[in-house]
Amino acid sequence: MKKLLAMLLMLMLLVCGTVGAMAEEEKDISEYTVVMIVKQSDSWFDDMEVGVNQLAADTGLNCYVLFPESGDAALQISLMEDLISQGVDAICVVPNDPEALIPTITKAREAGIVVVSHEAPGIADSVDLDVEAFVNEEFGRLMGEAVAQAAGGEGQYAGFVGGLTMETHMVWYQAAVDYISENYPDMVCVSEEPYEDGNSIEGAYDKTAELIRAYPDIKVIFDCSAHGGGICQAIQDRNLQDSIKVVSLALPSMSATYLKDGSMVHGQAWRPADAGYAACYAAYLLASGQGVETGTDLLAPGYESVTVEGTIAYGNAPLIFSADNIDDYNF
Amino acid sequence: MKRVLINGPEKILIAIILLYSIFVTIVNPSFLSLMTLFDIIRSASCTMVVAMGLLVVMLSGGIDVSFMSVALFGGYVSTLLMMQTGINNIAFPFIVSTLIGIALGLCNALLVHWLRLPAFIITLGTQNLFHGIMTTFISDSTIGSGILPSSLGRFGSAAILQFETESGLMSLTASFVPVAAAVVLTWFIINRTMIGRGVVALGNSEESAVRAGFSPLKIRLFVYAYIGALAGIMGVMYIAQVRAAYPNKLVGDELMVIAGAVIGGTKSTGGQGKVLGVLLGTLVIYLLNSTLILLGLSSSWNDLFVGALLVISVAITSYQTRVKNRKNLIFTE
Repeated sequence: MKKLLAMLLMLMLLVCGTVGAMAEEEKDISEYTVVMIVKQSDSWFDDMEVGVNQLAADTGLNCYVLFPESGDAALQISLMEDLISQGVDAICVVPNDPEALIPTITKAREAGIVVVSHEAPGIADSVDLDVEAFVNEEFGRLMGEAVAQAAGGEGQYAGFVGGLTMETHMVWYQAAVDYISENYPDMVCVSEEPYEDGNSIEGAYDKTAELIRAYPDIKVIFDCSAHGGGICQAIQDRNLQDSIKVVSLALPSMSATYLKDGSMVHGQAWRPADAGYAACYAAYLLASGQGVETGTDLLAPGYESVTVEGTIAYGNAPLIFSADNIDDYNF
Repeated sequence: MKRVLINGPEKILIAIILLYSIFVTIVNPSFLSLMTLFDIIRSASCTMVVAMGLLVVMLSGGIDVSFMSVALFGGYVSTLLMMQTGINNIAFPFIVSTLIGIALGLCNALLVHWLRLPAFIITLGTQNLFHGIMTTFISDSTIGSGILPSSLGRFGSAAILQFETESGLMSLTASFVPVAAAVVLTWFIINRTMIGRGVVALGNSEESAVRAGFSPLKIRLFVYAYIGALAGIMGVMYIAQVRAAYPNKLVGDELMVIAGAVIGGTKSTGGQGKVLGVLLGTLVIYLLNSTLILLGLSSSWNDLFVGALLVISVAITSYQTRVKNRKNLIFTE
């Protein structure tokens, strides 16, 4: 009798489970909640919110963005804790300090929540998926080509990074320099290491002023941090804009003036709105069990066919700015 | 009484600057140009203006670590006001920012005076407080070069002297004007006015200053308002030079200014310090920072090199002062 009861109970559980699972499969996209936590509110992440809201409008997915009050990892952790207790389906996060978020990410995943990160390939092992706009080396090579074009394929050039410890800046820099030395043997990089602008306009300005004195024949200066405006100013103040060209990582809000007056010949970035769109859609695909693999379309421009390596999904979404298209963007 | 115009730490700093300049020139002769001087003046201009205020505060025995926050507050708010009112005249932000600086400086002074807590703690608190008020209640969005009022950008790249050379246009920045004004005014206040005497007296001994008839409250109000005003001016200079107003820059860059003052022989316990010393101290820091590319040093050397030379300069300066004191039979250790 007891055995029979137990069997019956088991059977009932099984049926319930199957029905539950079936119900889940039939869940509509609008029943999924995906929340994106960004670093802080600024023009970059405000644009990312535009993309996430667009995704909600396009697909009916219940997704929105949470802004920590400041760029602090602790605030991101507490926002994530809240979401875990609310039991959302998926969390997208752009970590301020990726390593610091790992315990909370693990906790979320143990609670059955899908976690997708962006701009954090270093913690790809700890999340369900990390979405990157591009392979960093590709982005660097693109910059390298722009530098070579601006120089006409020969002459001296130099590069800046925000700081020598900034991983992505260094990868871009190295890829650009390697690309140039392979393809344009007549170009000479004046320094073994990149110069540091300290992620500030005045840092870029002061170093450029010195650089021009030390290497008066320099033809192109490129900046892997978004502070190329400082380089442009220094060059303009010396009236050298005809002989020295600038290629830089660029934000429309910071670089539009320089692209338009011609002192910056090439600006490069990626669109935060598209990255937010793609990351949230990827999170939905994972939460609904559809999965993301090489060739998956994340619907956003540049992410039509992502390349998945391990748990990192690479788009191909570099954005090139010129004087003509810079006004189309607002971030 | 025999008066020596340049002595003590100033003499040694000048020697260090000269020796170092000769060294750099030998390695890279392109250092020796007027352009180098103009470049250093431009990059040091903001620091020099607030350093003058800091000198006065430190002379009074106080300290202020909130001045960058005040500078950002004044500069940022006056830029916002320019945009909202449509006033595109460079005098406007300078006046508004100076007034904001004075107001915030007075807050500092009253807190320091009433709470009787170390000025360091108070101003560390107000540093965060002022910045927090600005980002929370006013605005925390970046004002980029595209929307910044044009008169600010024009001031930032304006020149009061300009030469055409084969290596480009060589110009002395218009920011040199506020620097020169701050230097002359500060020198005058310290050396030629009663309030300046009071500042030094307060820094040496509050008790004696009170007995000599000075009011510590009035003096504190003056010194913190003074650094506030200079910080306000500096905030506008900074935004003009950078051609953008960021809500999160400057704050945290106080130490370099304080270092310049201390290297220049300003005593953190008050009562001692000279305008020339602070100028030279600041100059040393900027000189070291702006010669690494000329020397061909790679960026990883940056901190090591500058740090080591700063320690050496301070060590030589303090050793010389000790020797001089011993000669005068003053034993401080």
